[in-house]
Amino acid sequence: MLLLLLSRLAQGLVVLFAVTLLTFALLGAAGGDAVSAVYEDPRIPAESLERLRAIHGLDRPFHVRYARWMGGALRGDLGQSFYFQTPVAALLAPRLARTLALGAASLLISLAVACALGVAAARRRGSWVDKLSAGVELTASSTPRIVLALVALVVAARWSLFESSGAGGAGAALMRFALAAVVLAVPLVAIFLAQVRDGLGEALREDFVQLARAKGLSERVVLVRHASRAALNPVITVFGFSLGSLLSGSVIVETVLGWPGVGQLSVVAVRARDVPLLMGIVLAASLAVLVGNLVADVLLRLNDPRVRVAESK
Amino acid sequence: MAVVAAFYLAALFADFIAPNDYRAQSRREIMSPPVAIRLRDGEGRWHARPFVYRRRLADPLRRIYEEDTTRAYPLALFARGHRYRLLGLFETDVHLFGVRAEDAAGIAEAPRVYLLGTDALGRDRFARLLVAARFTLLVGPLGTILASLVGIVVGVFAGYAGRAVEAILMRAADVMMSLPTLIVILAARAAFPLELPPGRAARLLIGIFVAVGWAETARLARGLVLTLKTREYVLAAESLGLSKARILFRHILPNAARPLVVQATLLLPAFLLAETSLSFLGVGVQEPEPSWGNMLAAASDINLLAAQPLLLLAPAVAIFLFVFAVRLVGDGLKARGGKNISS
Repeated sequence: MLLLLLSRLAQGLVVLFAVTLLTFALLGAAGGDAVSAVYEDPRIPAESLERLRAIHGLDRPFHVRYARWMGGALRGDLGQSFYFQTPVAALLAPRLARTLALGAASLLISLAVACALGVAAARRRGSWVDKLSAGVELTASSTPRIVLALVALVVAARWSLFESSGAGGAGAALMRFALAAVVLAVPLVAIFLAQVRDGLGEALREDFVQLARAKGLSERVVLVRHASRAALNPVITVFGFSLGSLLSGSVIVETVLGWPGVGQLSVVAVRARDVPLLMGIVLAASLAVLVGNLVADVLLRLNDPRVRVAESK
Repeated sequence: MAVVAAFYLAALFADFIAPNDYRAQSRREIMSPPVAIRLRDGEGRWHARPFVYRRRLADPLRRIYEEDTTRAYPLALFARGHRYRLLGLFETDVHLFGVRAEDAAGIAEAPRVYLLGTDALGRDRFARLLVAARFTLLVGPLGTILASLVGIVVGVFAGYAGRAVEAILMRAADVMMSLPTLIVILAARAAFPLELPPGRAARLLIGIFVAVGWAETARLARGLVLTLKTREYVLAAESLGLSKARILFRHILPNAARPLVVQATLLLPAFLLAETSLSFLGVGVQEPEPSWGNMLAAASDINLLAAQPLLLLAPAVAIFLFVFAVRLVGDGLKARGGKNISS
């Protein structure tokens, strides 16, 4: 177990290195650097641009720049944002916290909905609940988050939910948070629902469940203690993959519904072509996903002894 | 399937179906609601042919339009309108429907039929919706096919290669699948100038998508190859001394085709949504070219939206219907071929 954790951690670091290197190379290779994006003003003479480049170290060769960035990042210094003119790390931290809160809330929502519907559907195959959940799954998976976010915006406008955002604004901020979390959760509901429904349906036909029933255990106990544990595996695996989707979704949802998180920041960063800020965002987002995947790996092994045994062989 | 086909027909014949040019701006009619198509005139008489009235901007501030009921302009099928090239081949000015040319002749501001109203520059939203489909429906499948091909090549290679190569490739695929794709795409997009002509934007979008979309297909292809390699008929082919390439192309790939196509029907909506997102954020397809994404961006103004829900509904319904239809096609394929290769 410890060995696995360590090897996964090492792999994660390699991945982080690769991702940041690639992004850095892409951003660096595309010609115009951050300075030229900020100072595309023809009135600024070339030599002062050069001086600026020298100050920011942009005149150095690529590997030196990357090494400098990486060295800084290891010490928690992500450089200076060209657009905001503040340290990237200070800019990023509160935003990341807000996005993670949003992500956690929508994970909870989607898991709750998916479990409620999925369990009911798996217990009675072919019943109306089953058909309903199939319908929910298809609809939820083909409704893009942009559309949902805009619909949420209309709803908010109709009932003036964001009204109090000027004064005080705690209630309005909460509304924004709640709406954004729900919108973010919808596509995840589809993914989790499919896993719960199929996984539990399969588990309920397994021999050990039949045995538990034959022992005379109540259906409740069979479901909660025996079947659901086996059905949890695919859910955990999907949970690992869903983190990336959550962060991607946050870009749109936060922009539309005005939740000041990393997603919104990334749009600003792209428009301003703020390279240090973008690098920081990519690093933070990848880090969040990798940590999430690590957690999923550990959970999977805690839940299912079969995986542990298969690995120790 | 029928819906998907309908989308393609609509996109192909966009110029023909839409009564107006998607680029033409009308200063007189900005952010106007849809034109009412009537059968009954102001005096309560019924007409055999549907007709429209001319409209006048009654209140420029609140954008309220009034109809001029003195004269009705009947609609006709195959009416003449602006000139365009049908399918890029031959030039014509015949449209599916519109105001009859002889009625519109002699009037400075001929009435136009706006099925979905006009946008902030007075352009026909219905025409823009159709033309936008053209870009999306061309770029989407192209990107999907390319991403699938790359994925299949990587997957097959991993399936045949030794353990070390396989492990590396599959870990790479895992990482690609778990990364926050849109953020990576956005970062990659920032490497290019913000303003791009549509042709370059299309190539860029396809390139970026292939770079992030191959992973899932690669995993699937590898799994299929590993399973199929142990099937009797493949073993039989091997014992007959057939070459590896022949076995791969004649025996393994045909049997793997169906799940791979199903996977592609999952990729296509993902790509479409990525394109929509980028266009929505203003870094994909850009004005004046229409796309479903940048039409949605026009709907993010909450005041406009409250007044005209169609702003949101029209592109939203288009996206939803198309994605839904592609999903159904995929589900249908899966259900029909599920037995073939269940493991």
